[in-house]
Amino acid sequence: MNSYPRELLQQLAPVMFVAGLDAPAQTPSAPPTPQAPVVPAENTEQPPQTPTRSQDPFTVLTLRLREALQAQRRVEIWQPDKTKSFQVELVGKDARFPPRKLVPPDDPQYTSSHSPLSPLTPSSPLHPDGIIAPIWIRKHTTLLPSVFVLFMRLYESPSQTPRSPLDLPDPDREREREQDERRKDTDLSAEVAHRKRFTNERGIKLTVVLMASRKMLDDPGLDTRLTFIRRQSGLDSRAALFVLSPVSQNELGDFVHSLQQALYEPALEYYTSHSKRVRRKRNRHASQPVPAYPNPLSPMGGAGVARPLRPEGWTVRYEYKMACFAEFRGEDEVALKHYQDAYEMLMIMFGSPVILPPRTKRWAEAKVLADCINIKITKLYLYNNEHALALSHHNTHMRKFGDFSRGWGIGEDTFEYWSWMARQHRILAELLEQGTRSTLTIPIHAPVVSSSALANASEKGSLASRGALPGMELDAMRSLGINPSQALQHPGYYYYMAARCTEARRARFLVALQAEESQGVGSTSPGFANEKKVDHLVIILELYTKAYELFKKYTITTSQDQNIGRLPLWIAYRIAQTYYDSGKFDMAVRFFERIAKTYRREQWGSMLKPLLETWYACAQQLGEMELSIRLLIERLGHDSDESDPGALEEDLLAIFKSTVPSSPDDPVIIDNIESQPIFDTNVVFWSSEVKINESAAFQLTLTAPPITQISSLPFQSLEVQFSEGIEPIVIQHVNGSDDDASESSIRKIDLGSIATGESSDPRVLQANLRWPQAGSLIFTGTVSSSVPRTITIIHMRLKLVEGAWKVEIPLDPCRTRSSFSASSGRWLSGLDPPKFIAVQREDFSSVNVRYPSHSVIVSLSHQSPAYLNEDYPVTVEITNTDSKELDVVMDVLLQPTDVDYAVNTITLDKEQSSAMIKGVAVGVLAPGVSVVKMLHILSTGAVGDRMIDISVQSRSIATSQPPNVNEDDSPISPALLDITDILQTVTIPTVDPFKTTMNVAYKRALSTRPGLGDLRTFDAEYWDDSDGGEAFITSIFECVGPWNLEIESFVLRKQDHAQAKVLESSIAEGTSGDTFAFEYLPGDEFTDACRVSVASADNRESESLPIPGPGEYCITWRRILPDDKRGSSSTSVFPLPSLHPPVDDLIALLDVTPRAKLHQPVPLTLTIRNRHPTRSANVFVQLETEASDSFVVAGLRSGRVPILLSGAEERLTWNLIPVECGHVMLPRIKIIDKRRSSTATADSEDNGIPVKIVDTRIEQRPGVPVTPVQDGVEGKESIIQPVEEGKVASVLVLP
Amino acid sequence: MPPGLRVNAVAFISAQNHPIIVRTFSAQDETTIKYHYIAHTSLDVIEERVNAAGGKSTDCYLGLLYAMEDVAVYGYITPLKVKIVLALALSDSVVRDVEINMIFKALHMAYYSSISNPFLTHNDDSVDGSRTLTVGSTKWKNFRRRIDEIARVVGNPTSTSIGGG
Repeated sequence: MNSYPRELLQQLAPVMFVAGLDAPAQTPSAPPTPQAPVVPAENTEQPPQTPTRSQDPFTVLTLRLREALQAQRRVEIWQPDKTKSFQVELVGKDARFPPRKLVPPDDPQYTSSHSPLSPLTPSSPLHPDGIIAPIWIRKHTTLLPSVFVLFMRLYESPSQTPRSPLDLPDPDREREREQDERRKDTDLSAEVAHRKRFTNERGIKLTVVLMASRKMLDDPGLDTRLTFIRRQSGLDSRAALFVLSPVSQNELGDFVHSLQQALYEPALEYYTSHSKRVRRKRNRHASQPVPAYPNPLSPMGGAGVARPLRPEGWTVRYEYKMACFAEFRGEDEVALKHYQDAYEMLMIMFGSPVILPPRTKRWAEAKVLADCINIKITKLYLYNNEHALALSHHNTHMRKFGDFSRGWGIGEDTFEYWSWMARQHRILAELLEQGTRSTLTIPIHAPVVSSSALANASEKGSLASRGALPGMELDAMRSLGINPSQALQHPGYYYYMAARCTEARRARFLVALQAEESQGVGSTSPGFANEKKVDHLVIILELYTKAYELFKKYTITTSQDQNIGRLPLWIAYRIAQTYYDSGKFDMAVRFFERIAKTYRREQWGSMLKPLLETWYACAQQLGEMELSIRLLIERLGHDSDESDPGALEEDLLAIFKSTVPSSPDDPVIIDNIESQPIFDTNVVFWSSEVKINESAAFQLTLTAPPITQISSLPFQSLEVQFSEGIEPIVIQHVNGSDDDASESSIRKIDLGSIATGESSDPRVLQANLRWPQAGSLIFTGTVSSSVPRTITIIHMRLKLVEGAWKVEIPLDPCRTRSSFSASSGRWLSGLDPPKFIAVQREDFSSVNVRYPSHSVIVSLSHQSPAYLNEDYPVTVEITNTDSKELDVVMDVLLQPTDVDYAVNTITLDKEQSSAMIKGVAVGVLAPGVSVVKMLHILSTGAVGDRMIDISVQSRSIATSQPPNVNEDDSPISPALLDITDILQTVTIPTVDPFKTTMNVAYKRALSTRPGLGDLRTFDAEYWDDSDGGEAFITSIFECVGPWNLEIESFVLRKQDHAQAKVLESSIAEGTSGDTFAFEYLPGDEFTDACRVSVASADNRESESLPIPGPGEYCITWRRILPDDKRGSSSTSVFPLPSLHPPVDDLIALLDVTPRAKLHQPVPLTLTIRNRHPTRSANVFVQLETEASDSFVVAGLRSGRVPILLSGAEERLTWNLIPVECGHVMLPRIKIIDKRRSSTATADSEDNGIPVKIVDTRIEQRPGVPVTPVQDGVEGKESIIQPVEEGKVASVLVLP
Repeated sequence: MPPGLRVNAVAFISAQNHPIIVRTFSAQDETTIKYHYIAHTSLDVIEERVNAAGGKSTDCYLGLLYAMEDVAVYGYITPLKVKIVLALALSDSVVRDVEINMIFKALHMAYYSSISNPFLTHNDDSVDGSRTLTVGSTKWKNFRRRIDEIARVVGNPTSTSIGGG
């Protein structure tokens, strides 16, 4: 920016001149303008050095006012805020404005003469070939204000204060004072009027601020005085006169603010009128296109001949002026428009060498003007956040002038071109930098729409382009993508570009310089001499450094990674290069060091290579031999140029031979882990695991780089450090006598077996340590260990010794140079030709040494399947077949079963558990000894498989403590302990020993229901079975298991309760042991029948619930083992089934003897019971006799039974006299319930509902079907075929 | 495809930020290193964009990363964090995201199908993640061929389809 006139770039703002605020701190003899008169209030001022100065309120006020006013606005290039603030210039009281024209107004030539700055005025700096100069801007920013503010003291008569209020006002004195004031005020008014005349002439607003004491403000005469002053001086009525008393800083701020607010409009008017004037001039000019000057079309006249400004030039001038005035007014859009017009016209001028011949003064001025207008336009766009437009304009500017430059002979191959380009980039960067410091934000160019929406957008876009959706066009286009060259980025990028351009400029300059030197012909370019004075590298460095700072600022480093970002690193690399170019090698080295760190870590070898090269060159220049060696060795790791593969090696050897280290005793250790190693290294162990003292074969391969030569590097020795407990080895170089071996690319060197031990001095072996190009040296050997451990190679160290230099290069045992190919396990199996076997293992570079596993036999024996409820024994036999004494511990785990209701327990050595028995010590077993453990499992609940895990741990007595164990160490891994685990799983199927079938039949109670008031029912032991009746339970047990059983006892354990009791059972209690104690074979059955009286509960609801069985069968049994032994006694329990007697409503029970004697009467009893809980019954009975009947009936034939209330019963009796022998049928009895029911149909009303007749002799009812209740035993209640309801059995009549 | 789209270079970078391949299509050989730098520095912007999305974004396409000198650099990150960087010759025209995204999809597919080659890890399967780097090594030509084909098709829009690589 400094390369352009500041006036042409800065943001313009209304200018305010402030006079009358001369700093009292300054000595009065040196006011800003020498002609400035002393301030009228001078008599109140004290000399500046006196301590009272600061106490004088007006002095303080003046100082503060100066400060506040000057702080209003800073002259900046980037100043987009639109607060109504002024550019304040402090001037002297009688500051004069520059004359409009050179001739005084009364001169007759006045109208035809021009402004002193016009190109038409011969004395103008623009004469004869200027367009518009910075001085014009300066005139409007420093010499001509839009408003003029004059600060003055209001006269106050000094004698007022000491007066006592009691004194009477002295009329004389008072009058005198008033006259005094009037006189002073008249003076003041005259001064103002004088000033007013000046400002009026130029249309400048004049405002007077009168400073008066606070007391004065309260004076009633003040208004009169002010009116007088205004009238006298001819000030405007609006915003032209202010009174200010000494106030605090804050209030002063308010005052300054309101002063500007009040004066802003007049300022705008001032600039508007200027604009109008200029527009008039422009229009006038445009209307008379033929210039009035002679000789307009002879541009190629003599060099010194003045070329008057052509109409295009005038247009530029006027447009520029209008743009500036609009900018003063803060009208950015208008300013932009005029600037653009001016710029366009300039472009037309540049386009024609006739209008604007190149390399003239006007051409140079126009170029600067164009650049500045471009920046103004760019800036105005940026104010509006029109990034794309701004950049587009800037880019177009550069492209256009690039094209022009070619025509002017300063094309891309000249330093002028690049110098100019660099300047453009730089000024944009500076503008952006200023902008970002205030309001400008750099956009992020992430895609606006997600990729999923992209397809959508493209559709819209195509629609819009077809014009289908004109309104959407803009949005759609924006979302489609951006023009990358119009994407605003942070200023660092533009500084970077400027630096690159400057580099190009330097390159072109150097070419020109060379041409000059070689041909002795100086460049014809006029700037060449100047260019020679330029230190390009300093400029480049400055630009890069600025870019670096900005890149660093804009790089968001993640919190865990405090590193410099990669973009700044790149810039840093350029800086380092520039330092290198400018010969500041120490600086370059410092940069390289930092950059290389990141590049190494991220394995960007391609970028590291040129960096190392330059770095090495720096180190050479600096004479840092140690660094050179380091860098050379690091460079060995990267593939060098194919053209000269031995260059690095030669360099290294040359350093070794020609120099000595600074400290010869300490070896140079190249310990850069992140850099690429020279050798591809690889360690392969043949097997993943070996036993103790077994040797494990390994191969260690070091492969030289494929291109770079290292064959003559003086490697002295290779140290190989194994993991703990293995002796290190050193392989020393001997010059190979076996030349034939060194020729082949793969050599094998046998190291023999490596011993165990911690000996500090390593074993020394010898080998030829010279590598041909891409040659491999394979060291083979074996290693063994007496303790379990993991063996690998920890690190290696190559030593180079030559002359006084000792260099140590640590190597990773397993590392490849190129990140592209991962190291893999390859085992050399044959040398000629070389053959490799792939070792397909994850951890091929280490071997585990383990104890051999113990030989322990665990055998299990048991008689499967097991019975439910049986204490089932499993025999575990553990035999030590090893040669060592073993301490054996056993764990038993009963796996959780997925069988429902299964409850299982295991028992071992008195320990009982339902899940796991842990750590049962079996004891120390001598070799050959076996031990037997009995494990018992008791399975109950349900049949199914049970699984048991038996784990036997054996531990060697001799080496139970590993040798290197520390007491406080973390738990040793089991691999290091000499422990062997044997796991056995056994599945035990469990089956039922018996299958049971239980049948239940119900019978109604015959006895009459006791009356409601029957006292017996209140007895405690009264058993009311009238509702429930009796249940007959038949239980059949079948031995279903595969094993024979011996039943020891079979009993029915009664468990009578309130609702049911066992009346009798077919197995008499107490004697059962004798009856059933037999051996039973599979398929054998036995049975029991029992009779149960059921007393149903009083309420009907509870009857729906099943009644628990009033007892259970207990079978005590033993399994008969194959060897005729008896197993342990087990008990199976089968509860009686739950009972659920059916319920009746209205029922008729028929009772008759089953046998009768001929001609002897037998009674027939019919009991009609109404068991309905609520309903009464209206029952009709009809006995129908037929001729074929075998009986003679005495009794009721047909009749109505009295209404049966709920719960009541009625008994009817007949006498039957059999008249036939044999099984004879009873006469038919019909019982009909004729109770009206609302739901009954008319048809059934007549007939009634027949009532069931139950023959009590053959009654047998199944229970109410109940959903089987899970009571543990799923005894099967087979449904008995029910006797047909209503069927009446016959009577056997015998003679 | 507007005729202005010219691919200068394509770079694939592994999830561990190691270069898989940097393929340049400009004539001069000395500019190759420049695209290495561009690929490397792009990682900064890619990381910034990915972090800004908070790891939630499922969008692979990252848009214009930056424009510098004569190239516009675009970024793309696969779900497995392999980054693809595309350097286009800078021209003064709107570059449609949809097209760039399409090129990236094709490049992604090319990478995907190349990495699926079962012979890639036939010899060396030892180190996890090496597979991604192996595909770019000079030993495997197919990947290069696919990238070159995509670049050719982008620069020569007479062929219609670039999908599938």
